[in-house]
Amino acid sequence: MNLVLSALHFPPIGELVEWRGILFKDSPFEVNKVVLLMWAGALIVFLLFWSAGRAAARGSLVPTGVQTIVESGIDFVRNDIILQTMGPTGLPWTPFLVTIFFFVFVTNIFEVIPFIQFPVNARMALPAFMALMVWVIFNVVGIKSQGLGGYFKSMLFPPGVPKFLLPLVALIEFISTIFVRPFSLAVRLFANMLAGHLLLVTFAVLSAALFTKGPLAIVLPLPFLMLILLTGFEILVAVLQAFIFTILAAVYIGGAMHPEH
Amino acid sequence: MSLINTLAQTAPDEMLKGLGAIGAGIGYGAAAIGPGIGIGIVVGNAITAMARQPESAGMVRTTMFLGIAFTEALALIGFVVFILIKFA
Amino acid sequence: MMLLTALLRFAPEAPGAVAEKTTNPILPATNEIIWGAISFTVLFVLISKFAYPAVKKGIDARAEKIKGSLDEAERTREEANGILDEYRRQLADAKNESARIIEEARQSADKLRQDLKKQAEAEVAEIKARAQDDISAQVERAMGDLRARVADMTIELTEKVVQRNLDRETNLALIERFIDEAGNAA
Repeated sequence: MNLVLSALHFPPIGELVEWRGILFKDSPFEVNKVVLLMWAGALIVFLLFWSAGRAAARGSLVPTGVQTIVESGIDFVRNDIILQTMGPTGLPWTPFLVTIFFFVFVTNIFEVIPFIQFPVNARMALPAFMALMVWVIFNVVGIKSQGLGGYFKSMLFPPGVPKFLLPLVALIEFISTIFVRPFSLAVRLFANMLAGHLLLVTFAVLSAALFTKGPLAIVLPLPFLMLILLTGFEILVAVLQAFIFTILAAVYIGGAMHPEH
Repeated sequence: MSLINTLAQTAPDEMLKGLGAIGAGIGYGAAAIGPGIGIGIVVGNAITAMARQPESAGMVRTTMFLGIAFTEALALIGFVVFILIKFA
Repeated sequence: MMLLTALLRFAPEAPGAVAEKTTNPILPATNEIIWGAISFTVLFVLISKFAYPAVKKGIDARAEKIKGSLDEAERTREEANGILDEYRRQLADAKNESARIIEEARQSADKLRQDLKKQAEAEVAEIKARAQDDISAQVERAMGDLRARVADMTIELTEKVVQRNLDRETNLALIERFIDEAGNAA
C-alpha cells in the first residue's frame, strides 16, 4: 500500500503545461509543442474552410463531408449566436466570429485527440490574445458607432438607475466593462481547459499507477472508467467553451454597437 | 497555538506551504459554493421557461449559456486565486 | 491503454528541469502569445479573404436555388389551382346544363302528356257524342218506325176487333194520343 502511494507521483502544474522549446530556443519566437499546436489548429481550420470553399465553388449544391461541417458551423454562428445577440446588423462580423469559434474549438479539442492530448487554451497565451483583441474591437466599435462621449455615457450610466446610486454604478460598470470583461473572457476559457486537462491527467496518472502496481489493480476500473467519462465530458466542454467564448465576444461587440441592449 | 508554533519552529517552510495549500483549497471550495447555487438557479429557471414555452427554447438556451458563463466567472476567479496562491 | 501510453510518450520534460523555472501558469508566455497572435491573425486573414467568401457564395447559391425552386413550386401550384378552378367551374356548368336539359325535357314531356291527354279526352268526348247522336238518331228512327208500325198494327187490329170501319183520320189521332200517353207513362 505504502509502496503504491509513494510511487504515485502527481506532477506539478508547471510540469504539465510548460513545454521545452524545439526551435529558436530562448528567443521570443521559441517554438514548443503549444506553438506547434497553434499552427496545426490554424492549418486545420484553414484547410476545412478551404476545401469547403472549393467544394462550394465546384457548385455541388448538396453539401457533403467537410462542407457540411463548415456550413453547419457557419449556420450555427450566424443563427444561434449573431442573430440572437447582435441582431441583423452584426452579420458583417460573421467571418471573425466563425474564425474564433472554429479556432477555439480545434485548439480545445486537441485535449482529447490521442497522442496530442494538450489543449492549447490551457496556456494563457491564446485566450489572453483573443480576449484582448475582442476588448480592443468592442471598444473601437463602441466609440465609432456612438462617439467617445456617447460610448462612455451609455457604458457608465445605464438607464433606470436612481440618481444617488449613479457614482457607484458608474464605477462598477467601468471596472466591469474595462477590466473584468477581458479578464473573465480569457480566464474562463483558460481555466476551464486547464482544469479539464488537470482532471484528465489526475485520472490518467491514477489509472497508470494502479495498472502497473499489482495488487491494487482490482480498483483500476474505477479511475479508468472515470477517465473515459471525463474524456467525453471534455469533448462537451471543448464545444461549450468555444460557443461561450464566441457568444460573449458577440454580446460585447453587439452591446457596443447598440446601447441599451 | 503552541502546536502551530512548535510546528513552525521545526519546519517553517513546510508549514507555510501546507497552510498555503489549505488556504487555497478552502478558498476554491468557498468560491465554488455561490456559483454552484447560481448556476443551479439559472438552469432550473431556464428549464421551467423551456417547458412553459417550448417554441422559445432556442432563445432561452442562448440566454441560459450566457447566464451560466457570467455566473461561472466567479468560480473561475476562485480557481485562478487558487493557482495564484499555489504559485505565489 | 492508448491514452496512457500516449500520455507517457508525450510526458513533459523531467521534473527536475522544470522545477526551478516554474512560472505562474496564469501569465502568458511571451513566445506563445506571439505565435498565437500570428496564427490567429493569419488564419483570420486567410479565411476572411479566401475561404469564407467561397463558402458563403455556395450557401447563398444554394439558398437562392432553394428559394427559386420554392417559388417555382408555388407558381406551379397556383397554376394548377387555377386549372383546377377552371375545371371545377366547367364541371359545375356542365352539371347545371344537364340539369337544365333534364328539366326542359321533363317539362316538354309533361306538356306533351297534357296535350295528348287533352286530345284523347276530346276525341273520347267527340266519339261519345257521335255515338250518342247515332244512338239517339237510331232510337228516333226506331221509334218512328215502331210508332208507324204500332199505329198500323193497332189500326188493323182495332179494325179487326171492332169490325167497324172507322174513320181512319179520327182513329189515327186517337191512337196517336194513346201511344203518347203510353210512352210518357213508360
